Amino acid sequence: MRQIMTVFAFTFREGIRKKVFIVSTIIMMALLLILTAVPALIQKSETDEPESGAQEPSVTSKVCYYVDENGLIDNAIETLSSKITDTRFEKGDYSKIHEYKETIKTDGNTSLIVVSKDQTGSPFITVTNMDFMSGISSGYAVDVLSDLYIYNTLESRGIDKDTIEFAQSRLSYAEEFAGEMDFSGYLLGIVITMLVFFAVYFYGYGVSMSVATEKTSRVMETLIVSAKPSRILIGKCLGMGALGLFQFIFMIAFGTVCYKFFIPDGFTVFGMELTLSAFTFKSALFTFIYFLLGYMLYSMLNAVSGAFVSKIEDLNSAMMPVMLIELLSFYMGYFSMMSSGSNVLQKITMYVPFSSPFIMPFILLNKDLSDLDLAVSILILVISIVIVTVLSIKVYTASVMRYGKRVRLKDLYKET
Amino acid sequence: MLARSVKMSLKVQNLRKTFGTKVAVENISFEMTEPGVFGLIGTNGAGKTTTIRMILGIIGADSGSSSWNGKPITREMNFGYMPEERGIYMKTTVLEQLVYFGMLRGMIRHEARSSAIALMERLGVAEYRNVITEKLSKGNQQKIQLISTLIHNPELIFLDEPFSGLDPVNIEMLRKLIYDLVDEGKFIVMSSHQMATVEEYCKNIVILHKGRMILQGNLRQIKSGYGHTNLLVKTEKDISSIAEEAGLRLIEKRADESEYRIDGDEMAGSFLTKLIDAGIYPVKYEIKEPSLSEIFIEKVGAEV
Repeated sequence: MRQIMTVFAFTFREGIRKKVFIVSTIIMMALLLILTAVPALIQKSETDEPESGAQEPSVTSKVCYYVDENGLIDNAIETLSSKITDTRFEKGDYSKIHEYKETIKTDGNTSLIVVSKDQTGSPFITVTNMDFMSGISSGYAVDVLSDLYIYNTLESRGIDKDTIEFAQSRLSYAEEFAGEMDFSGYLLGIVITMLVFFAVYFYGYGVSMSVATEKTSRVMETLIVSAKPSRILIGKCLGMGALGLFQFIFMIAFGTVCYKFFIPDGFTVFGMELTLSAFTFKSALFTFIYFLLGYMLYSMLNAVSGAFVSKIEDLNSAMMPVMLIELLSFYMGYFSMMSSGSNVLQKITMYVPFSSPFIMPFILLNKDLSDLDLAVSILILVISIVIVTVLSIKVYTASVMRYGKRVRLKDLYKET
Repeated sequence: MLARSVKMSLKVQNLRKTFGTKVAVENISFEMTEPGVFGLIGTNGAGKTTTIRMILGIIGADSGSSSWNGKPITREMNFGYMPEERGIYMKTTVLEQLVYFGMLRGMIRHEARSSAIALMERLGVAEYRNVITEKLSKGNQQKIQLISTLIHNPELIFLDEPFSGLDPVNIEMLRKLIYDLVDEGKFIVMSSHQMATVEEYCKNIVILHKGRMILQGNLRQIKSGYGHTNLLVKTEKDISSIAEEAGLRLIEKRADESEYRIDGDEMAGSFLTKLIDAGIYPVKYEIKEPSLSEIFIEKVGAEV
């Protein structure tokens, strides 16, 4: 135990001083700062803008020519101007349509609405903009003109104003979600899953690199006469894991501070409020546990990858099988997140030890998970870690002092 | 210390190791019963490093055993090992990694630190204690490796090619250290392919060739067994024709002396008479046993 702690402390100290750790921490802090500052800036710019409708129509550079040669829709320009205030509507000349279109080709602030007759004699509306990003909103303009046309038509047929307005009114509504998932939980789930994936990958790679460096620089030969390979392996994995956890917790703490400091109260994304309400004590605790377990599982496999190589440049190819397992498991989890409702893929990924660390934080934040499901998932993961650790120690012990020729599994079995 | 050391012994019995179909080491046995330096000699690939690794349990032997004081050698025993290919953390400061290696050998932090500093002062590298190791010269890096081997004051020390790559100043420093360690009653197993080095330090040797022992025993006795076979002569005049006439075979001609192969003391005496008769009085006239290098070449040559 003492040797494990010695290796652990040395690995942690070495890791925390490395440039890659310091630089990655600074980059992540900067990203968090930017991500949380952006909503505040957006809201500030929105509050600084004058409220539309409360003042005189603002002077705008947007122009829309309205051409209705047959006069199919009365009062169209006035109505459009009152509904779409950021655009100046002008009556256009039918003979100049080609000229307007030429202008629109290069001017994103100019639009054209042409009202013609279709085969039944009803108005047919054509909206021309430079591209889908510029000009007026064609959908909204068509809605305004359609409502106006129906109003005019019904009025001309003697229907009273109140009846027409009633017929065109829309019912008020509110959207509620009965399930566990809310937008914040969904967003947090994805962010945390990605964080867990990157942390497991990043620190697993660190373990692999550390083992490979010790082997190729022959430090291993000095180490191995002092401590059992199993103790070196466990100490190293724990050291790198603690380093990852330290950075992970630091980032969460920093992110929380940024969130509290920058994100305005009631801030919404696509109309939905961004909150940390999905983060309960249970979900936070088990997210933490899954990160630890996932890291342990993959770090053991990565350590073996590092022990296989004789030259540091072979490390990436040696890590490829573990990386493939990790990527496949992550995407399995990710796709099951994207698919709504309960599904078979999600059930499978919950229990498969390689994918459960990636999917479970999302499920914990967004679904009503039974304690039994949670217990079974963790139990399978723990058993898998024990099996993988025992095998990894055997393979690591046998391969860590083998140089030169490619190490074959058959030889390793013989050695162990 | 010495009285206690007398009871100590390293025993290696019938060690064998194969890698696939290749036999790396075949039935190697030797014993070391008193402090000193034991030499494992052989060309590159002879099996010296594999033998040491098997003794220390770094790699498993196919058969055979090794013991220290009658017990199988384990990591918990107090031994030190300096591998042939130096392995130290290049990006870590000198003292920090020495403390780490010491702690892995069971020392507590301040003990390891004190021991590391004492050895660094002894080897003249104390000023580099807080320097990143990669900034040190190759010779100083080797000293750090040696300190990591000795930091826990081991009784049994394995030095795998300790002199390779060292400059004359560092060779002298290491030479002195090895003598000091022997004086302290340490058991040292040293592998080398530098015969002059082994000849200087080792009382007992094993010569390995292609994984097999081709000679072993007390170096003095081995040499005595060959008798007086060499004659080293230094004269002011050319003696080549007289030597040829006397039946001496030239082994090596140096700037001011020549070494000849002789069949025995009588031949040397007869040659000396001829020189004096010719009015030549040698400045140096030394009848010698064969050098270890000659014995090695003879044995290895016979194997080839």
